Amino acid sequence: MQETQIDPATGFLDRYSCLQLASDLVDQVGGNGKSLAVLWIDIDRFKQINESFGYEGGDSVISFVADRLREKIIGNAQICRVGADEFVCLIPDYDIDNAEKLGIEFMRAIEPPLIMGDFRIRLTASIGIAILEPEETSAEFLERADWSKITAKKEGGNRYIISGNELVPSHMGIIQAREDLEVEYLLHTALDTGGLQLHYQPILGFNGNVLSVEGLMRCTVNGKNIPPARFFPVAEKSGLVVRLGEWSLLQGTRQAKLLSKLGLNTTVSINVSRGQLADARFSQALYAAIILADVDPGLIELELSESVFLDTSTVIQTNLRTARNIGVRLAIDNFGSGFSCFANLKDIPATKLKLGRAFIMALPEDNRSLSVVKAMVQLGKDLGMTVIAEGVETKEQMESLRELYVDGIQGYYYAKPMDVEALSSWLQYREHS
Amino acid sequence: MSKDNQNNVYEFAQSRRVEGLLESTLGDNGIPSRPAILDRVHIEMDKEEPDFNLLARIISADVALAGGLISIANSPYFGFHARVRSVNEALMILGLDVACRAIAGLILRKLFPITLALERFWDASAGIARISGWLAQHPDMGIKISANDAYTYGLFRDCGIAVLLHRFPYYHDILAQANAEKTLNFNQVEEIQCPTNHSVIGSLLAQSWWLPEEIYTAILIHHEYSILQKSDSTVLPPATRGLIAIAQLAEHIFQHHTGLSKSQEWFKSSEVCMQLLEIKEDQLQGFYEESAPILAKYDY
Repeated sequence: MQETQIDPATGFLDRYSCLQLASDLVDQVGGNGKSLAVLWIDIDRFKQINESFGYEGGDSVISFVADRLREKIIGNAQICRVGADEFVCLIPDYDIDNAEKLGIEFMRAIEPPLIMGDFRIRLTASIGIAILEPEETSAEFLERADWSKITAKKEGGNRYIISGNELVPSHMGIIQAREDLEVEYLLHTALDTGGLQLHYQPILGFNGNVLSVEGLMRCTVNGKNIPPARFFPVAEKSGLVVRLGEWSLLQGTRQAKLLSKLGLNTTVSINVSRGQLADARFSQALYAAIILADVDPGLIELELSESVFLDTSTVIQTNLRTARNIGVRLAIDNFGSGFSCFANLKDIPATKLKLGRAFIMALPEDNRSLSVVKAMVQLGKDLGMTVIAEGVETKEQMESLRELYVDGIQGYYYAKPMDVEALSSWLQYREHS
Repeated sequence: MSKDNQNNVYEFAQSRRVEGLLESTLGDNGIPSRPAILDRVHIEMDKEEPDFNLLARIISADVALAGGLISIANSPYFGFHARVRSVNEALMILGLDVACRAIAGLILRKLFPITLALERFWDASAGIARISGWLAQHPDMGIKISANDAYTYGLFRDCGIAVLLHRFPYYHDILAQANAEKTLNFNQVEEIQCPTNHSVIGSLLAQSWWLPEEIYTAILIHHEYSILQKSDSTVLPPATRGLIAIAQLAEHIFQHHTGLSKSQEWFKSSEVCMQLLEIKEDQLQGFYEESAPILAKYDY
């Protein structure tokens, strides 16, 4: 019998030892009814890396990948190198849920860019996952994982597939997870290649004054637009929201400075999510962006949902307090949606209340909505807040809001969100006309 | 404004789309917004066949920038045998990625008015960058880092200090206190008197100037030595850890040679940095001696 062989480039078991190990493990767990999981990992586009950097470069990449995989394995898991760019991970006593989670962890671990000379390479992998079935041989078991891996590759790579689930539509969770990984990858690309933009939608008073502009994030990668409703949840889940948030702070503060240089002291509103505020460095990044743009902090406004204001976590409250201390304004966004509560308003340190479009849409015909809006406007004003109505699309809505003494309106009736250049032209046109 | 007027607005907008109209209003008082030239280089980098001639023409319009780039391409650090004589050749030799970072470094320095304190600060940054690049190629280093990244990181690591010195005269005192602090984290000393710190500012500036993720992450946490010890690569990629450790050692070597920019940072970080770089205390003397020629021709 041949001795266990170690692959020198990675320190993992080699192909022969992998087959031997799989056979031994199948024999052990097959008899006692325990589970055994396998993940077959194949690095995408590896041939291209070898062609670009030569085999030595390819070996370095494999060695980096091996280190990253090694850091993710736990307990009695074993990883083997079974091909130039292929690894097999065998894990006794592991169920499908854990195997799936590990697959996602492997993909995330592989993703951070590698440095090869002057190049940064972002790697992805195709992974096939299988759980040992009763009466199955080790060869059949590995073959199923290999087949899933091949399917993952055929579907474009950068995904994992669980054996047996290749084309079963009922596994929406898996499909969702794959799509989320794809969106996460696109967000990284957008951040690295300038695919993000802030578009600005003006907020106007009834005398025609531009009170402020709200920055709204747009993401386009390879000509494809990814809607905010799709990328924000992924950014929140993956932690990328902090980077996206820093990016929008940089853009928003810079925009406020540009407008003030044009003689327009217009506040720029920047949307901030719970994930951003939960980062201990948020207020430092906010102040850093203000310093870098050399802008008056009073021209910056953060828009947050009511629930974020009421979050009692120390980090969030500290960030909010610091933001106010440095002179940044706070606004309650989309009030009236979800589980808004009038009683909470008195505890929120905001200077602006933005009424959500859900109520505005029903104006002016719906008397109940009219009554609620009237009450919200009154309460906001009693608390010293500026009250803005969002989603105003018709002249009738605008007029009924004017009669309710709302301070300003935002919506397609006056102006759509526009890019920096269009905003500049729009503002200058207004100045001239 | 009515819907009819909106149409007029958009027609007007189309007729008045002037590229860079707003961009040009920034930067006249030392605000380090990303220079348009970096955007231009990035656009060319993304093309299958970058137009080096066009870039060379743009860069050549600025004498200091053109001279600086040629000088960088000819520096012994890159070790090219042929002498570069034009911006076009410098771009070919350095490659667009390195050239882009070199341009960023040159412009960054130009953005701040020349005061003695800032001049010395940039000299120190340049010295630390050169030693970092040299260390990254040293056979005794137990961690693999691109020399170009190490050089760029060394140059930009403390650019937040330049921003703060430029913006707030009182930051001189804060800097002196932070440099003398033996126990507290450097950033903590800054935060006692300021709502942010130079690491956060530097990292945001590097982000907005298109520097790679490893570099701006390393700038952000370069005083948080406890994170360096964690081995989980999803917390901190090995490249980021390596950049921080190499620049810290480079700063120590620079201070050893010049006596400038004295701080307590090597005292706080040497253990974890040497562990990461897989070097021992008794090797330091060798590094001091070998690195002397790198700084010798510069007057510190």
